[in-house]
Amino acid sequence: MATYQEFIQQNEDRDGVRFSWNLWPSSRLEATRLVVPVSCLFTPLKERPDLPPVQYEPVLCSRANCKAVLNPLCQVDYRAKIWACNFCFQRNPFPPSYAGISDVNQPAELMPQFSTIEYIVQRSPPNPLIFLYVVDTCLEEEDLQALKESLQMSLSLLPPNALVGLITFGRMVQVHELSCEGIAKSYVFRGTKELSSKQIQEMLGLTNPSASGPQGRPAAPQDPAVTCRFLQPVHKVDMNLTDLLGELQRDPWPVPQGKRPLRSTGIALSIAVGLLEGTFPNTGARVMMFMGGPPTQGPGMVVGDELKTPIRSWHDITKDNARHLKKATKYYDALANRAAVNGHSIDIYACALDQTGLLEMKCLSNLTGGHIAMGDSFNTSLFKQTFQRVFSKDHNGEFRMAFGGTLEVKASRELKVSGAIGPCVSLNTKGPCISENEVGVGGTTQWKICSLSPSTTLALYFEVVNQHNAPIPQGGRGAVQFVTQYQHSNTQRRIRVTTVARNWADAQSQIQHIESSFDQEASAVIMARLGVFRAESEEGPDVLRWLDRQLIRLCQKFGQFNKDDPTSFKLSETLSLYPQFMFHLRRSPFLQVFNNSPDECSYYRHHFVRQDLTQSLIMIQPILYSYSFHGPPEPVLLDSGSILPDRILLMDTFFQLVIYHGETIAQWRKAGYQEQPEYENFKHLLVAPVDDAQEILQTRFPMPRYIDTEHGGSQARFLLSKVNPSQTHNNLYSWGQETGAPILTDDVSLQVFMDHLKKLAVSSAA
Amino acid sequence: MEAKDLYIKPGNQERGWNDPPQFSYGLQTAAQGAPKRTPLNKRVPPPQLTGSPCPVPGDFPSATAPMTPPTNPLAPPCSMNTPPRPCPVAAPPLGGVMATPPPPFPVVEHTDSASSQSENEPDVDDVVTLLNWALTACRHTVKKQVCNDVAKRLKLFEDMWKSGKLSLPVRRRMIGLVQELKSCNWDAADEIHRALIVDHVNEVGQWMVGVKRLIAETRNLNPDLLHTQEVDQSLDTSSAGNSD
Repeated sequence: MATYQEFIQQNEDRDGVRFSWNLWPSSRLEATRLVVPVSCLFTPLKERPDLPPVQYEPVLCSRANCKAVLNPLCQVDYRAKIWACNFCFQRNPFPPSYAGISDVNQPAELMPQFSTIEYIVQRSPPNPLIFLYVVDTCLEEEDLQALKESLQMSLSLLPPNALVGLITFGRMVQVHELSCEGIAKSYVFRGTKELSSKQIQEMLGLTNPSASGPQGRPAAPQDPAVTCRFLQPVHKVDMNLTDLLGELQRDPWPVPQGKRPLRSTGIALSIAVGLLEGTFPNTGARVMMFMGGPPTQGPGMVVGDELKTPIRSWHDITKDNARHLKKATKYYDALANRAAVNGHSIDIYACALDQTGLLEMKCLSNLTGGHIAMGDSFNTSLFKQTFQRVFSKDHNGEFRMAFGGTLEVKASRELKVSGAIGPCVSLNTKGPCISENEVGVGGTTQWKICSLSPSTTLALYFEVVNQHNAPIPQGGRGAVQFVTQYQHSNTQRRIRVTTVARNWADAQSQIQHIESSFDQEASAVIMARLGVFRAESEEGPDVLRWLDRQLIRLCQKFGQFNKDDPTSFKLSETLSLYPQFMFHLRRSPFLQVFNNSPDECSYYRHHFVRQDLTQSLIMIQPILYSYSFHGPPEPVLLDSGSILPDRILLMDTFFQLVIYHGETIAQWRKAGYQEQPEYENFKHLLVAPVDDAQEILQTRFPMPRYIDTEHGGSQARFLLSKVNPSQTHNNLYSWGQETGAPILTDDVSLQVFMDHLKKLAVSSAA
Repeated sequence: MEAKDLYIKPGNQERGWNDPPQFSYGLQTAAQGAPKRTPLNKRVPPPQLTGSPCPVPGDFPSATAPMTPPTNPLAPPCSMNTPPRPCPVAAPPLGGVMATPPPPFPVVEHTDSASSQSENEPDVDDVVTLLNWALTACRHTVKKQVCNDVAKRLKLFEDMWKSGKLSLPVRRRMIGLVQELKSCNWDAADEIHRALIVDHVNEVGQWMVGVKRLIAETRNLNPDLLHTQEVDQSLDTSSAGNSD
């Protein structure tokens, strides 16, 4: 319905929130019958160029186990200068500084248009941001040169007061001292010996051994001038560091024939994490690791150094034939958790033709909010520009990246929080709002997101706890408050508060209204994240069966049909796209490991569970636009029937941009008609999708691959594997469709899928 | 940022399959925050659910695609209007040949031959003079070691220029940078240095950090220091007057 669509869009624009249901079922039982839980996608730092931050501290509810922030939903008595918390109903006096408020002189946080508001708080001196480069030197010469240049370039992109450090590794691990003068010194560690955090700090001279503290805790660090030998302000050491980077050599240890270089990634990371732990706990910091191959020695090794033993494939994993997998995953998991506890994030930039161990190392980025970039070589535009975009700035000229985030969720007493799925870790805070049904990262109402960007999005799951037949809560509305504290890239500490409310509805009498409030796009992504989360621990077919069951139940609940008559089945417009999303999700690399290596799956899933709604949907069901002489560019079904000889197709899968030229177009192009002035129309046609693709290429993070292909081209497979194969070699003559390209596949088509779905939904033997 | 600095180069197809094109720094910064011209985010529901034929939402104007079917009778031919050359449509597709599509983006080739002296060829001495002016001013307050490091890199820059190792865009933009420096437009100078190191890191990587440091130190100076006698002298003694 148009009105709900507008409502949904306005709310997303203002608050960065998309709920699965915008009318909430008032009882637990009814909520479970809706199949898709009451849940939302939330983008904590959604870009709001129109929202100026306020320069004071937020006013909090005084009840100890509430502490909700004053917001537009609160009742206010301006005469008595008292406000009532909308979550716990506690009456709170306003602080003295609010003495002058009245209903014609409201503070910003009470105005409805400030349902999202940002506070700047300055409780302690600002901490500088920290960037610690961890660089693999077992690279080919050309790659190493390109990487060195990118790192030198990045020194000009860093925030000027940031601290920067350098660790290089190969067979050994070197921590470089970045003093301003004299000979460059470094501390060398064996790449095989695991050291505790305390040992690392002692060996780097970061602690005073004679004054060690209580057992197990690192001693107090000496004064900053000493501890910061390895992490220096970039404006002081940029020249020296540029020279140091320029002089980096390939790892000197010769690599025998038939062997891989010995790469001590595990130890290098452990030293990086330990160094930061000891010198700057609880400060925004970013470890940026660059690697050109898998770890082959020491703890965290993913594959041995014999080339004849390939790195594990899915086949190896299912046959339990991946020797190092469990141990390595456990090792990196522990490192990731240590980093997350300290608010430090870890980026992985992996450029190699073969796998590099992202499957084992993904938690380093997934738990801390760091990035994973995957490319073929450091000497590619894909890596260079993706890396540049880490330092992108917003319209104010400020860096988009933010650090040290914590998100707290409060809810009306009729709702409890089941959990979150996204790049976060639990802060394990106990409280009254926590549901016993854990979904994703549950058992808490607070999460830590060590590194954030304006697109970072969490999926949050709620449970309605009202008993069946209990009356609708007084006021008729439920509310949720999101409080995000973080360190802005300009080092200010900020608090962003978003408070939203939705009406309760009795599902028995108002089911149609509830249905019309359904947000099929948000729900598709929310369920998809659930599926991906499950896929990490469950067997693939089980996840697909679960997904199918949810879809069938949803269709049974909301479809209009006559029992046992599949042809009568219809879905209203608010749900019409949902089955298609689920169909494509089932075929997607997020749930289908066939044709993707374990590393590729890890990479795709990493990006899927953190992107905002629009990008996530693109990943589930790629966008397909058709360009032709018959009219302006139009969206078309992601279907083989859309592949026509006189069309150019632009497909966006998020990870790839594919421009596919139909057979006739390709022939014309080859014949060069676009060069001739009388065929200028054709030239414009060829350029149109290129221009549209360019807009996407200019800003997307990470940089996608760009594929220009045509009918019969080998690269056309990227398009052919994504479209619904409505026409295959099996049904070429029975389908009745005269156009479109048949696809050689045994995959189920959307039509067959829908037929089965309808049969199951209408069946009275449910 | 001049229009020449907004360009796109093809990606490195030898090292990365389907490597995307590379945008210059200017293009990337311009794109951030700018609203999308044609947001590609619409989808079409499958016909069998809504019961209606596939809807075609049509209103997505693109600046370059034709709005109406071409009335130009010379549009790419169908088998009727065959021009007097072999029309590929009438015949079956050429067997087995997949033409490698040319790079689709307008590729701006840099004139890399630095040795060609044209009329508007930037003069290295102009640039070096201005840089040294700033460095001299810095020597009062900035540590000697730092100044020497900067000087070393400025020398390297000068040598590279004189031996023809710097391309025209780099030379041109360095002229722009020192002009901004002279006018005390620190942010503008800084932005040019950033654009240069992003777009031409292989040429400027070794010495640009010296320029970066010079800008950073000069902007912090007491403004009086920028016009002391010895500084002005260093400007006067430059060869072939500055083009003002």
